[in-house]
Amino acid sequence: MIQSKFTGSREEQARGLAKAMVGMYCEKMEEARESVYIGGRKAGLEALEKFRVQAYAGTRNKLKGNVSRLSFYIRHGVLGIREVAESVREQFGKSYDAIKFWQELGWRQFWRHLYGLWGDGIYEDREAPKVPLGNGTDEELPAEIAEGRTGLVCMDETVRELVETGYIHNHARMWFASFVVHFRKLGWKAGEKFFYRHLLDGDPASNALSWQWVASTFSHRAYLFNRENIQENGGKEWCARCTAKCPFDATYP
Amino acid sequence: MKIGVWLHGDSLSKRDPALRNYPEAGSVFVFDRPFLEKAGLSFKRIFFLYECAVEASDEMRVGETVEEILEWVRQEGVETVAVTESPSPRWREAVERLRQKVEVEVVPAEGMVTVPEGYPVKRFTPFWKDLGREWV
Repeated sequence: MIQSKFTGSREEQARGLAKAMVGMYCEKMEEARESVYIGGRKAGLEALEKFRVQAYAGTRNKLKGNVSRLSFYIRHGVLGIREVAESVREQFGKSYDAIKFWQELGWRQFWRHLYGLWGDGIYEDREAPKVPLGNGTDEELPAEIAEGRTGLVCMDETVRELVETGYIHNHARMWFASFVVHFRKLGWKAGEKFFYRHLLDGDPASNALSWQWVASTFSHRAYLFNRENIQENGGKEWCARCTAKCPFDATYP
Repeated sequence: MKIGVWLHGDSLSKRDPALRNYPEAGSVFVFDRPFLEKAGLSFKRIFFLYECAVEASDEMRVGETVEEILEWVRQEGVETVAVTESPSPRWREAVERLRQKVEVEVVPAEGMVTVPEGYPVKRFTPFWKDLGREWV
């Protein structure tokens, strides 16, 4: 069936599409909204032009650091991965920041290559875990986590941003995944599905294998974090607002 | 030989390698209804794809991907479908099914590095050390 293009503002087009595609997304139709991040090559090229690679290496782990936010354009081939790498080389030359940025792009191609080799095998544990994991087989995260009602401000705000915008910083992804897998001892697959559902850059290979990297079923060790790590890279605002007993306020579990 | 380009979610722009090979060809993008009904993605993802497809493709369709492409092929008189390669098993299966009905030309996807056939991948560090020399 041909799907016609909608006219009007972005919001009006989103309403038209939401009506036309009822049953093909997870929200109720009246709650379906567009992201603040705009799709299409025109928007992708504008984002690429704005990106400055300087300070990338030193700040990319900070939630407010100089990250590109180009991932959703690269994931969908709106910007070519080589096109982005070459653009940085042409604009800024070779530098420590550029090399670090290219390496992160390289991860995306690495995941993609493994997907070609393993296919749906990316959804199975690639190796035995290096730490005891929970044996949760639920396909969905518990509602309190998926709806951002754990009382842990850092985790709830991560979920809120993800659901509202379709994007969260990579470090927030790692903290959340580690919380789900190692602190709550839930299986990684429910978390993987939750991220894939919401991330605009959701890519089967990057997503599933990154969850496995955190879980230690595709890495040498489990990825763990603590409160100090969150405060150093995310700031202290979350903790200042949080009244929950902090499960992260300790040495690594 | 009339060529038509199938754009999919891994390569959804005018930068698509198949489309760059055949810039004059018509193009189609399909929202795969069976997949979307099962996957339950957020609407934000669907709308992001829609915005990409509006710019990139001549025609958008909703339905089962192979059936929709074949209908478009008949409608447009396309003789060969050109498509950019994807590692997705669903993409491979769709290409196999299409090939039973129409000529399909697969165009290599754009990469940062060239991975040799049979390259044994275990971890990122040796992968990048071996293949990423242009970028270090």
